[in-house]
Amino acid sequence: MMQGFQSLFKIPELKQRIIFTLLVLIVYRIGGHVPIPGINSEALIAFFNEASQGRGLLSLYDLFAGGAFRRATVFALGIMPYISASIIIQLLGAVVPYFQKLQKEGEEGRKKITQYTRYGTVLISSMQAYGVSVFLESITTNSGLSVVPYPGFAFKLLALITLTAGTVLIMWLGEQITERGIGNGISLIIFIGIIATFPNALLDEYQQIAGGNRAILTEVFLLGVMLVTIAGVVALTQGTRKIPVQYAKRVVGRKVYGGQSTHIPLRINTAGVMPIIFAQSIMFVPQTVLTFFPDSELMNSMARYFDVQSIVYWIVYGTLIVFFTYFYTAIAFNPVDVADNMKKHGGFIPGVRPGKRTAEFIDNILTRITLPGSICLAFVAVLPYIITRFVNVSFNFASFYGGTSLLIIVGVALDTLQQLESHLLMRHYDGFLKNTGKIKGRRRF
Amino acid sequence: MSNMNLMDRLRKYRHRLNGGTIEYDLTAYRGALQEIDELQPRFQRLRDEQITGFSRDLQRWIREGDSLETLTVEAFALAREAVSRSLQLQPFDEQLIAGLVMHGGKLTEMQTGEGKTLAAVFPAYLNALAGKGVHVLTFNDYLAQRDANWMGPVFEFLGLSIGCVQEGMPGTQRRKAYAADITYLTAKEAGFDFLRDSLCYTPEDLVHRSFHFAIIDEADSILIDEARIPLVIAGSSDEFEDGPAHMAQIAHGLEQDRHFEFDDHARNFHLTDAGAEHVEAILDCGNIYDESNTETLTRLNCAIHAQHLLHPEIDYLVRRGEVELVDEFTGRVADKRRWPDGLQAAIEAKEGLTAQSKGVILNSISLQHFLRLYPRICGMTATAQSADSELRRFYGLHTVVIPPHKPCIRKDLPDMILPTRLAKQKALVREISEAHETGRPVLVGTASVAESSRLADALQQAGLSCEVLNARQDKFEAPIIAQAGRLGAITISTNMAGRGTDILLGGGEHLEKQQVAALGGLYVIGANRHESLRIDNQLRGRAGRQGDPGASRFILSLEDDLFEKFRLKELLPKTFQPDSADRPIDNPMVTREVRRLQRIIEGQNTEIKTTLCSYSTILERQRAIIFCKRQAVLHGPSALEFFKSRAGTQYELLASVLSEDKLLTVCRRISLLSLDEAWACFLAEIADIREGIHLTRLGGQDPLLEFQKQAIELFEKVPIAAETTALRHFEQLRLKNGDLDLDSAALKTPSATWTYLINDRQFEEMLGLELIRNIGYSAAAVSSLAGPLLLLYPWLRKLGRKLRMRRAA
Repeated sequence: MMQGFQSLFKIPELKQRIIFTLLVLIVYRIGGHVPIPGINSEALIAFFNEASQGRGLLSLYDLFAGGAFRRATVFALGIMPYISASIIIQLLGAVVPYFQKLQKEGEEGRKKITQYTRYGTVLISSMQAYGVSVFLESITTNSGLSVVPYPGFAFKLLALITLTAGTVLIMWLGEQITERGIGNGISLIIFIGIIATFPNALLDEYQQIAGGNRAILTEVFLLGVMLVTIAGVVALTQGTRKIPVQYAKRVVGRKVYGGQSTHIPLRINTAGVMPIIFAQSIMFVPQTVLTFFPDSELMNSMARYFDVQSIVYWIVYGTLIVFFTYFYTAIAFNPVDVADNMKKHGGFIPGVRPGKRTAEFIDNILTRITLPGSICLAFVAVLPYIITRFVNVSFNFASFYGGTSLLIIVGVALDTLQQLESHLLMRHYDGFLKNTGKIKGRRRF
Repeated sequence: MSNMNLMDRLRKYRHRLNGGTIEYDLTAYRGALQEIDELQPRFQRLRDEQITGFSRDLQRWIREGDSLETLTVEAFALAREAVSRSLQLQPFDEQLIAGLVMHGGKLTEMQTGEGKTLAAVFPAYLNALAGKGVHVLTFNDYLAQRDANWMGPVFEFLGLSIGCVQEGMPGTQRRKAYAADITYLTAKEAGFDFLRDSLCYTPEDLVHRSFHFAIIDEADSILIDEARIPLVIAGSSDEFEDGPAHMAQIAHGLEQDRHFEFDDHARNFHLTDAGAEHVEAILDCGNIYDESNTETLTRLNCAIHAQHLLHPEIDYLVRRGEVELVDEFTGRVADKRRWPDGLQAAIEAKEGLTAQSKGVILNSISLQHFLRLYPRICGMTATAQSADSELRRFYGLHTVVIPPHKPCIRKDLPDMILPTRLAKQKALVREISEAHETGRPVLVGTASVAESSRLADALQQAGLSCEVLNARQDKFEAPIIAQAGRLGAITISTNMAGRGTDILLGGGEHLEKQQVAALGGLYVIGANRHESLRIDNQLRGRAGRQGDPGASRFILSLEDDLFEKFRLKELLPKTFQPDSADRPIDNPMVTREVRRLQRIIEGQNTEIKTTLCSYSTILERQRAIIFCKRQAVLHGPSALEFFKSRAGTQYELLASVLSEDKLLTVCRRISLLSLDEAWACFLAEIADIREGIHLTRLGGQDPLLEFQKQAIELFEKVPIAAETTALRHFEQLRLKNGDLDLDSAALKTPSATWTYLINDRQFEEMLGLELIRNIGYSAAAVSSLAGPLLLLYPWLRKLGRKLRMRRAA
């Protein structure tokens, strides 16, 4: 492993790419601390500390914006408007003939699509920026301190321009990484935002020990559990079942070297982190609704069950995740499409008739392997809550025990490693290096 | 010429804005041109022998270490003088500039008919002075021969030797041609010779020298259109395919749509359930998809492919009891080319011919990678414009546009689009006869041998006689072309006349030329659109050469293959569908869609090439390693040392009987044979991996990365396998009567070559997976959920506050 790392820096181009990536990420982090003009930062911090909604959907958004949202900085909108725009354009491609044609036009079409995505990003982020500016103007701390001392058109306009420009800048930074650095820039930007909270969380832990609130042994145990969890998540992300496939196009001669045979790798967790996000979004709804009725007796008793510390919450949450795993797997992996495609190109699973039967065969296996996958996923999602309940750690620290954060971190890390490996492979015959160990990446997070 | 007109200027700026890379500015070359002009009077005074003598001096100076750059002006001026004396032609300034551009390793775009062949003489001469050989790669064999014959006198006048390689030439002649200072040949022949060289067992058998400089004619076709086709060399094995006749019979009995279906673009087919049951019943083999039936299924697939996807008179001809393949690009019969993987046998069975022996793939290289083996390349074409970025990306070639010597006055008439094939045929006949009545020569470009014959028949029925130029008539190519520009000539051609062909108005007679010119010059009619606008423009370019008058028009139908394949009809709104079957569709929308269709195809082809290129990069490195190993064995004593150290006793035994020379030859042969075999097996297995590697994408892995990993893993076993085989062969060597019994080490030699296409966009349409592939898909969900919530949030809060206030009240 260490040898592999050394070899990374032996290749000048790779070294350059890695350094470039780091520099861009630093720029991104710095920008995440520059506040929008016209904000009373202290009031803002006070508000978020007071607000119980800090745990709501906004906090999830904040997670992806790397904490920039909470601080109302120029990067508050994060990269998300760009992602929304990409998705909308991609979806348009499935519906609107014009975009469909563009997608098929190769190079030229792709250029145009990129162009439209950028316009879309500007549009969406200015809409969101307007929303944010209205939101910021509306909030006050309990002591009546306004977050925006001088609200009005001027502030809205200023916020709109800075936030939109911020998002466009992040988009550009991300593209630069993808082009000249290592890994997928967009993924890395989200990744770095999440992982940036880890040093703080560690510091908290250290203070717990230093303050004598926690035994060192407990802490060692906690870290041990974290390592095991991470290993488990890696296994969950990479676990595959291989289904052999044959192509009866050429008469296959004897296999001298015994290379791997062709197969479909079916993941035990095809859906990735999506089910957790879906489930989380659903679970926020009752919480948010409950906050509107602080005085209702019934609602208060309900609220107890919908506290993240309650076992009922865990069970509902876990069940939702299992459900959404199946739901999203069905969307993302359509066995009928796969079977159809294989049929069209002369591929078949030995002993299984192409077409409908093959689809059924794949569907069967997929259903079977998704069950353990989804249960593991549910467990990983609930684990942070369990940890916070039984050991008194900050939620910030606990979130690295699973859930969205850990899955995304592991996913992006594996992906980036895969990219590094591909760079190494391209230079395999440059006489520099040998095997660097196998890294199986996952779909781009 | 020096002042660009406004349109050109605008075009240039627009191109720049779009990030284009084409150069329009020629001022950099004008200085050199002026120097060349200044030298001219001095050279004009020299006697013929003095010119040749000066040329020898140049050669000597280069050998003594002068750089080509310092002698560029002298060489160009001398070559110009030689051209004007030996050919009685005065090269234009534009041709000299083109020559300078090419010498600089760039690609020149000169309009059709501007004399590219002559322009190539200058850089060819200059670079040949180094004595390391210059290859002029032409588009087809006919042009290689024609250009070599035409330019031969110039080079001979300058004291250089010239060679020409043609398909089917024996090795000795090839070696002689390659040894010449300048060699005219097709890129494919050069590539195949490279592959054959990679299978030679003695240094004397090699035909190529090491590569030095290549000038590529019709560069866009060779570097872009044909580049994706791998050249494959195969050796015949003694085995014969068994039972293809039976399979052919079964395949013949299958009906489209009931027993099998085509995919959207009619490139692949698959059996339906009914078809599978039908076949299983005939063959009585149980489930045809069972593992034990794989071979049967493969044969059946070949038979169906041969029966229903390949058509006589389009894809191949049957002549002299053999199947002959028609080259997709040049429209000519390709010598010694076959289909791979049992398809050849299936075709032969379909046509009821005797089966040829089965081939084993020994080596392959894509044209693209082969051309990259030249340290320096340059090119020329008439149609580089839309391909310039690709040329730069893949080959580092910059495009320079040379303005025409005389402006082109050809009239490009708007397309005539008809609803049906039948209507198109009628319209073609009408258009041809109208033009013919005036005596104007007409050239019609068709897509296939079958189509050209069909049209010729239709013309015959209308009482018009015409010449047909297609793969069947390839022997008559030169005379047909020579007559094609004469008064009243009608020539129906396939894409054989698409590129490079020079049709002289009036057949070269001055008076007749004026008559033809008065009638409007040559009228080119295209009966089909091609996959790229560049190819269309090449066909148009047969008319209006060197400022001659001319006209061109495409007559198409909505039922043309290209449009059917890509379902043009469905792209058109119902209201644009024609009302009457015979009337042309007069709508700019249709024309626009046609152009868009071509852009889509071009885009897809670029993608195929990019993918193919990225997949073969690793293989090319491995090939280079094997090549080095091979060279070492071929030219050095390493084979002897290997056997001496690894098979000592056998080595001593042989060494005591055989002469050292003989022993070296045998050792080399065995080493090389084993290495080639190991490489061939490697390629076969890689091809297998390649076939299904895209499936790994379903598991979220990068297919390219996965492919590279497996290729590297496999490749490590190649030298080991080669050594094992070599040792086995060596131990098996037996002595007979004090000499070697060579039968104990039977060797295969290659006898057939062919090319085939690789398709690489199988999972393009996997929407579910591909949809959110390039962006963080989890973040995607967040933003799609949380983004709108950001807008809703203030409103929700306000609502919450209101509710609370009401409660408090």
